[in-house]
Amino acid sequence: MTTAIQFGMETEIGISRDSQEDLDVVAESIALVRSAAEPGVWMCWDYAEEDPHADMRGFRVKELRQDTDEANYYAQDAERELSFQEIKSDLVLGNGARFYNDHAHPEYCTPECSTLAELIAHDRAGERILMACAQHMTDEVGSQVRLYKNNTDFMGHSYGCHENYLLPRSLPWDALAQNVQAFLVTRQIFAGAGKFAIEDEDRFVSHGFQIAQRSDFFSELQSVDTMQRRPIVNTRDEPHANPKLFRRFHVIIGDANMSPFATRLKVGTTALVLEAMAREPKRKYPTLAEPLESLRSISRDLNFKWELPLKSNKPSNALEVQFAYLDAVKTLCDLSNAEKASVVADWEEALNDLATDPMKCRDRLDWVAKLCLIADFRAAQNIAEDDPWLRSLDLEYHRLDFAEGLYYGLEQSGAMRLAIADEISAEAMHHPPKTTRASIRGKCVQKFGAAVTSAQWDHIVIQSARGPIKISLLDLFAPEQILRYNAHVDAARTPEDLQALV
Amino acid sequence: MPDQAQKNRPATPGGGGGGEGPGSPKVDKPNVDDLLKRMRKVDPDQAKRYRQRTGQ
Repeated sequence: MTTAIQFGMETEIGISRDSQEDLDVVAESIALVRSAAEPGVWMCWDYAEEDPHADMRGFRVKELRQDTDEANYYAQDAERELSFQEIKSDLVLGNGARFYNDHAHPEYCTPECSTLAELIAHDRAGERILMACAQHMTDEVGSQVRLYKNNTDFMGHSYGCHENYLLPRSLPWDALAQNVQAFLVTRQIFAGAGKFAIEDEDRFVSHGFQIAQRSDFFSELQSVDTMQRRPIVNTRDEPHANPKLFRRFHVIIGDANMSPFATRLKVGTTALVLEAMAREPKRKYPTLAEPLESLRSISRDLNFKWELPLKSNKPSNALEVQFAYLDAVKTLCDLSNAEKASVVADWEEALNDLATDPMKCRDRLDWVAKLCLIADFRAAQNIAEDDPWLRSLDLEYHRLDFAEGLYYGLEQSGAMRLAIADEISAEAMHHPPKTTRASIRGKCVQKFGAAVTSAQWDHIVIQSARGPIKISLLDLFAPEQILRYNAHVDAARTPEDLQALV
Repeated sequence: MPDQAQKNRPATPGGGGGGEGPGSPKVDKPNVDDLLKRMRKVDPDQAKRYRQRTGQ
């Protein structure tokens, strides 16, 4: 997708260990990240330039809401004899990715990508890096470390899979936030990962299936928060780019997808909808009368009718809303690019299949694949619909283990449409996308890792004999400029040779 | 980076999954017999022991 809209994902991972009750997941997460054998630069992440309190609406909040349940861990966290940097254990990898402990979860952030092929390759590369860490740690501690790419522990503790989209600052925030809301509420019909539980903040509510993992955990329309009272539209204003020219649209409402097809569809459709809005901010989109209520009711509708009221009092449903966005994309976006055209075709096909028989999508979409697989198993084993085993099977769908994980089993059996070849994800484990500024970060880490003293999404600092060299990546988005920077880094033999990029 | 090859997998005929609720596929399904064996090894209490802290 050769569009100015670049994207990346940041995925928090669940961690557990066999025969270990009351696991200190923070300590486990730190240990897991530190078990990484991939070459990279440790504990050089520059936090000084991060500001999660900045709000797109033009103000700074005094403090972020913390989850109330987290207060129970205060004493345990206060006793850790580790520095801030040691707790975070940031690792910047040679493929341009960031891997670190985000409070209580290992988090893998893909490098910035400009094509969906790059993104799903790097998402799978992250899974493989995490799996290698789990194996190293298992060998070290002597009990099986299990990792889960999901979003909940079924007891109301959710963790995220966030998407980031680089947008022109000229797209007015109010128009963006208003117009994208109905899309984000309804895209779960194809992007949901499915869940065999009903939850609320910090508690299990009941058994039952719903199509999305995260829809139980949103209670605001807009805010800067991410841990408690989460918003449909997150207003964090950290562009990680020139703030006069760009904004980063930070989407926190998505599920972690195992299916690369679902990831591709989720990010591809969102990028196209944002492109349509950037091209014509004044176009009218469906407006939901009750967005928060509809978010939950869509997820929990076992008849898959997904009805919702529009602000005009007209009854509608999630499919009609999605078709309205599809129409906008077809009208406004440049679809001459083959990858974009392919996403539009897949989007339309998925919506049509969801309209006629959602189970047709078991070969593509996570929630359908999970539901059908577990339904097959229920029938074979005569398992009741309230059996806790269903939640264990749900969990194992997301297991990051090629030999044990149920999603990977589906892929290996040939049941899923889009499979990523091992050589593609292996390449992404060690090489950054060539089309974005991540290539500069990754190559500097590969060539001059020992001299890197500081890194961020928008810069990297390398110590040379003549002093620190700070390479700004703030404005590095034009393809020809990325090519020029790449040629320079490729030719550099010493850090001093990078001085020309300052 | 080259595009991923999309493959349409052959579907095998099969009926629904049975049981109550929404879990009854009405379309062709793949052969997942080996995977069902893998599922039988999943500890029914695995999720009960799975406790995480709230993230973002």
